[in-house]
Order: sequence, then C-alpha cells, then structure tokens
Amino acid sequence: MAELITYRDAVKRAIAQEMRRDDSVYLIGEDVGDAGGVFKATKGLLDEFGPVRVRDTPISEEAILGAAMGAAMTGLRPIAEIMFSDFLATCWDLVAVEMAKTRYMTDGQVTLPLVIRTANGGGLRFGAQHSQAVENWAMAVPGLKVVAPSNPHDLIGLFAAAVRDDDPVLFFEQKSLYPTKGHVEEGEIVEELGTAKIVRSGTDVTIVALASMVRRAEQAADELAEQGISAEVIDLRSLVPLDATTIIESVVKTSRLVTVEENPRLCGWGSEVVSLVAEEAFWHLDGPLTRVTTPHIPLPSADALEDEVLPSVQRIVDGCVKAVS
Amino acid sequence: MTVTLAQAINRGIHDAMEADDRVLMFGEDVGKLGGVFRVTDTLQETFGTDRVYDTPLAESGIIGTAIGLAMYGFRPVAEMQFDGFAYPAFEQFTSHLAKMRNRSRGRVKLPVTVRIPFGGGIGAVEHHSESPETYWAHTAGLKVVSPGTVADGYAMTRAAIAADDPVIVLEPKRRYWMKDDLELPVTTEPLHKAVVRRPGTDVTVVAYGPMLKTAMEAADAAEEEGWSLEVVDLRSLSPIDTDTLVASLQRTGRMVVVHEAAQSLGPAAEIAARMQQEAFYHLEAPILRATGYDTPYPPAMLEEFWLPDVDRILDRVEEALDY
Repeated sequence: MAELITYRDAVKRAIAQEMRRDDSVYLIGEDVGDAGGVFKATKGLLDEFGPVRVRDTPISEEAILGAAMGAAMTGLRPIAEIMFSDFLATCWDLVAVEMAKTRYMTDGQVTLPLVIRTANGGGLRFGAQHSQAVENWAMAVPGLKVVAPSNPHDLIGLFAAAVRDDDPVLFFEQKSLYPTKGHVEEGEIVEELGTAKIVRSGTDVTIVALASMVRRAEQAADELAEQGISAEVIDLRSLVPLDATTIIESVVKTSRLVTVEENPRLCGWGSEVVSLVAEEAFWHLDGPLTRVTTPHIPLPSADALEDEVLPSVQRIVDGCVKAVS
Repeated sequence: MTVTLAQAINRGIHDAMEADDRVLMFGEDVGKLGGVFRVTDTLQETFGTDRVYDTPLAESGIIGTAIGLAMYGFRPVAEMQFDGFAYPAFEQFTSHLAKMRNRSRGRVKLPVTVRIPFGGGIGAVEHHSESPETYWAHTAGLKVVSPGTVADGYAMTRAAIAADDPVIVLEPKRRYWMKDDLELPVTTEPLHKAVVRRPGTDVTVVAYGPMLKTAMEAADAAEEEGWSLEVVDLRSLSPIDTDTLVASLQRTGRMVVVHEAAQSLGPAAEIAARMQQEAFYHLEAPILRATGYDTPYPPAMLEEFWLPDVDRILDRVEEALDY
C-alpha cells in the first residue's frame, strides 16, 4: 500500500529509517533538533531519538563537518546538515581537501562513512547566496559521491544507500521540491547509488535531467508529444557515480541528446554528460548535443527574473525541437 | 632581455603599482620574503609596507580584505600561496567576490586580482598541486585566466589588474622558471582571447597554463609521425573564446583538449560540449580529452604518472585521427 507523502516528509522518514536500523547513525546540524530544521524536514526526530543522536550545533559549518568527520573516523555514521548548500563554501576546505582525500591519503585505511545533506537550488526567490545549485562543486572533487533525488521515493531509497555507503556522500535535497508529493510504499526502501532511471520512454530525443528539472522535462515531453516528437526522459539521480550506460544506451536509440541543468552553464554536469556521450556514441549522433541551463550569471531573487533564467518547460521544448530538426 | 615567467609576472605587478597608486599587493609571505616562489621579490622594498604587505595565514581574511579595499577604491592584488589553500576562502570567492556587482545592480564593482600558483609537477606535498579551475570557471561572476608564456605572464597580469571585475589568475607554478625574451612594453592579445600558437592542419590541440609547453612539445613530436598539430593557447577559462576554437576546428575537424585538472567537468568537458553544439557538422571525430585522472592528486613520487604528458596527448591525437 503506497501512501502519498511530501519530499519534506520523505527526508524525515529516510533519516528515521536509518537511525532505527543502526545505532551508529546520528544527525547533526544547525536547528535540526528543537526547531525541526529550517525547512521542517527533520521535525519529530529529536522526540524519537533524543538529544544525543539529534544534535543542534552552533552556526559554524566548519565545526559541523569537522565533528562529523571525526565521528566517522572513529566508527559512527554521521548525517550532517548544511542548512543551505551555498554555505558549503564556508566549509569547502573540509569537504574538498579533507573528506575527499582521506581514504586515498591513508591508502584505504581510514574511510569516512558520512552523509552531508543540504538544501540546494533555486525557485524560492532566495537570491544569489541562498539559491545556488552547487552539486557541480562536489562533482568536480574526485573522492566524493554526489546524489540529487527528484521525488520522495527516490529520496528515501538513495538516502539509505548514502548512509550505508562507506565513503562521503553529498546529498542534495532540492529545496523547491520539499512541498511536492509522491507515492511511497510502506516498509524499508533502499536503492543503489549511481543508477539513473528512465522515467518516460521515447524514441526521438533523450532528455537527461536532475532533481527539480526532472518534472519540467516530463512536462516538456508531454508538450513535445503533442507536436509528434517522442522524448525519452532520464532522471540522472546521481552525478557520482554517473550512470553513463543508461544515458548512452538511450542516445544510441534516439540519436539526440538534451541535458537540462539548473546550475550556471560553464563546467556544469551537462558538459561532462555531453562529452562522454559524444565520445562513446559518436557514430550514433544525428545532431548537435544540446545543453539547456541557467545562463552563466548569479541567480536573481526577483520572481520574474528567477523564472526567466531557470530552465523553463518552454526552453526544454525549444531545445528538443532544435535538437531533432 | 631574457626573463623567467616568475620575473615577468613580478615586473607586471611592479609596473601596475608604479602606474597606479591604488594597486596593492598582499598575501602570505609576499612582502619581506618576496613570496614562496619569489614572484613578489623586491616589491616591498620598492613600494613600502603600506602597499606590499604580509598577512596572517588566513585566506578567508585575505580575500575578504581585498573585497573591502576594492569597495573603497583600491585595486588589490591578493595572493593565495597555493591552489589548495584557496578552499578556506571559498565562501568569500563564491558568495561575495563573484556576486557583488550583480547584487548591487552594477553599482559596486570589485577590481580584485587574485593570483594563485596552481597545478603540479614540482614534487610538492599533498594539497599543494591542485588544479581547481573547474570551480572558478563554474562560478558565475569570476573571470579566470592562465598565462602559458612569459610575455603573457607580464601582459595578462597587467590586464587583470586593469580590469574592473574580479579576475582569478592561475599561474602555472611548474613553469615559473621557464625563460623567454621579454621586450617591454609588451601587449599581447586581449585577456579573454584564445591564440593559435602553432598552425597545423590535422588535429587541434587546446591547452592553457602549464600544459601549453607540453602541447607544443607534443606538436614537435607529432611532426615525426607525420601529423600536423595546431596548438591553441586557451588563455581564458571564463569567458571562453568559442570563436577561435570553432575556427580552428573548421580547419582541422579534430580536437584534443588538455589540462591537468581531473577530467570530470573540467574545462575540456565545457569545450567539448560547446564544440558539439557550435561546430557539430565540422567534426570528423569526437572532441577527446587528455587530462588528469578523477582521483585526488597523488604523492610526488607518482605525479609523473598522473599528469598529462606528450604521450597521453599523442595517444588521444592518434585516436582522433583513427575516426
């Protein structure tokens, strides 16, 4: 029996699922306890698990990640929250220099089984410093795994996989998706990291999207169908590991590719996907590979401007029409 | 006169400071010591401790100070001593330095130059050989350049300091001791223009900073195989000069992009994606990449196996030619 729950409640359910299963899992972050999280995604966890396993911290992201890293080194499996993904910049030294490299620098003797979960992306009019889609920062650092679910079911399944993984995982929750709903079955849900999902089958063009862009890609596919264009939509779900196989197999079938990214254009994940597909499936391509992205600018906060720059359904449709023509 | 790249950059900062009292130089050990690579040697003696000064070991403070000084009308040049040390200042770079002009609707400009010795090849310990250009290029609001020649060491430093927006200058540390003639005054191409360093007909090789010299050596070696390589010096990673790259691709139909940074999302991915879109019908082969691996930078004794070299470039060239 599946129930309809929000992406926000899926976060709580995912954390609770893992904390009930394993005593070494604990949650740490700013306002995650008493306040239930600034997005209310961790509400109720303090009541169930108590203040030792659900801990509020001072407003110091470096301290949060430093503590999580130390805890992971000594046998716990911390879940650390960075309230807004933009704030990862204040503790990037710990992420890029320490966490990503510890396994390598110790020749595999020290692993860091920790998850950093963070509210990522735009759509809520929060301006240039609270709306960035920064998953590409993490993808550019060898040694990190990077996950960004688009719906409640995937959020729970991928989160469980992230907690159970022995290496650091950056888990990007798209903050504009928190109120969105999806069907989730009862019982434990665990998925595999590094697996993309074909959410709609098609034959003319492959659209690859992530997190908030998946729903828009599906809406674009609906509109394209009315024009007689059959689009296949792939929810990438995880950037590292990257499920190149699913994408390439799809492009071999459709011969066209459009990637849809929320982030600024230069050196986004779309560039990597396009480069890989172009190299691996060169002879199957019937037209230029197209990237639909936010322009290479800081994100504006004004409603009309934010709507203008984030990839819209119309821009995805236009990109696909161009790709197949 | 024959000078090293380090001396050319030094002269660029010197001349910019002489030309404009608002230019300041600061960072860790840049004053009394003259910088760990001696790039700022003698500048403090010449311009005094008010204009060239040492800071505490606090990168976030260095960039924060640069932002404040720029707001008040100075033109600061800040040094991050090593690539891997820029991370503690990441917030100042991404949230403030990159966004101030946009957030103030153009009213507050930040003419800040940040010099960062980057890349490997000098046998350094961990965290001292990073190639973090992907973050900088991905951050909207920053301009990112890397000189690959002695003349550009001088001219791009001057152009970066003269620019009204923040410019990250990635200095190829392994090439600091590379020598060439420098006749002043010198002006090279505009800061964000790519340049064909060696014309060729078979395959375009795109490189920048430390890999330019390697790409030129690869072109020499390729001649023996009978392959004519065109070498394009990218110079600017943000913005990227798409036109020059497309023009070269129209001549050769094949392209290999080289950098030390890890392959994932690197500038080579961006260039490959652009060429797929802008020059699809000129492609005789996919754009191939000769880059660092998707692993943390290895200990010094392994770096020669990690860094792209002539062989790795030529392997990719051969692959491109086989299509």
